[in-house]
Amino acid sequence: MKIFVVRAFFLAVFLIAAVAWSGAVLAASHVYRLYVDGLACPFCAYGVEKNILALDGVEKLDIDMAGSFITVVMETGSVLEEETAKQAVDDSGFTLRRFEAGK
Amino acid sequence: MRMKGILAALAILALTTPAAAPAVAHEPIFAPGAHVHSKGAHEVSLDYHRERASGAGENETAQELAFEYSYGVTADWTVKAVVPFVDKKSNGNGSSGLGDIRLGTKYRVSRIDRFGSQLSTTLLFQVKLPTGDDDSSPRLGSGSTDFTGGLLHGLESRRWYYNLAARYRLNTEGGGNLDKGDKVFLDIVGGVRPVLTEYRDADTVLFLELNWERAARDSLRGANVTNSGGWEMFLSPGIFWTYRNYAVTSGLQIPVAENLNGAQPTSDYRFKLTGKYAF
Repeated sequence: MKIFVVRAFFLAVFLIAAVAWSGAVLAASHVYRLYVDGLACPFCAYGVEKNILALDGVEKLDIDMAGSFITVVMETGSVLEEETAKQAVDDSGFTLRRFEAGK
Repeated sequence: MRMKGILAALAILALTTPAAAPAVAHEPIFAPGAHVHSKGAHEVSLDYHRERASGAGENETAQELAFEYSYGVTADWTVKAVVPFVDKKSNGNGSSGLGDIRLGTKYRVSRIDRFGSQLSTTLLFQVKLPTGDDDSSPRLGSGSTDFTGGLLHGLESRRWYYNLAARYRLNTEGGGNLDKGDKVFLDIVGGVRPVLTEYRDADTVLFLELNWERAARDSLRGANVTNSGGWEMFLSPGIFWTYRNYAVTSGLQIPVAENLNGAQPTSDYRFKLTGKYAF
């Protein structure tokens, strides 16, 4: 009985960890980080928010002024291509320095 | 009839000119900035301007409330239109109404982006149309079509700003055969963001401008007007406050030196307050 309880406990822990890990992987697959040069002020950065939110599949974004990067969350099943992101940043009057997927 | 002609000219200009004027971001308050809008960005502004000049037996006050619209055609090209309503008083006489409509454009010829900063060099072109009444006293408009060209250079960074601007305004002959002297404007501007803010925070930038402007003598029926032309220099503190896509800017031009020809009223002050909304 004691062995059964211990095994059940470890099995439960394993299952929970597995579910959490797969959830994290799924979540990470539609979050992108865009490192942008030229971002100096919040008022100017509003244009890049507008242009990226207008892209298909973008759920939300946040801009880190101190780090000069934009975190973009895509809707489940949507993908942000680097070229698309580069064009949106360029149209906003800035330069995409680095593109990272799965952050 | 005249108004129809003006409206037709406006429409033609709007359709054919890379037209419009100084458009935003963190522009100085009185000098035009080198920054342009992002592609597809709209901005509407309501601008209040008040100035007073006195001396040589004159006492002049002018107020202007202007509606401004600007649009980012591309990431480097902004167009703008300004429709002003003017109220003027001079030695007890007063008049008010539509002023001279201005159309313009800014085209950025160079942009250098770095981490947290942007360096821009931009060309400016502006047309002032004779839409204001030039028969009233005092006159609401010059009665002339005037052209301004300029070169603007500026840095925007997280902490510091600077801006250099050089402009030349070509004035053509207006009402009463008066040809106002052409004007040169030179501006040097420094700015600082005292507190570094994040994207969704309210943000404040302080500016200090040195504005110099020199006018050639006016000409009346081909003869120079003695009491006209000369230069004035202003020191102009200003503030640019923003929250998200809303902005309020304000500044005061204080005259610090002048050398006007003959007997002319000199500037006492110029004040500006602007509200902007970008979308």
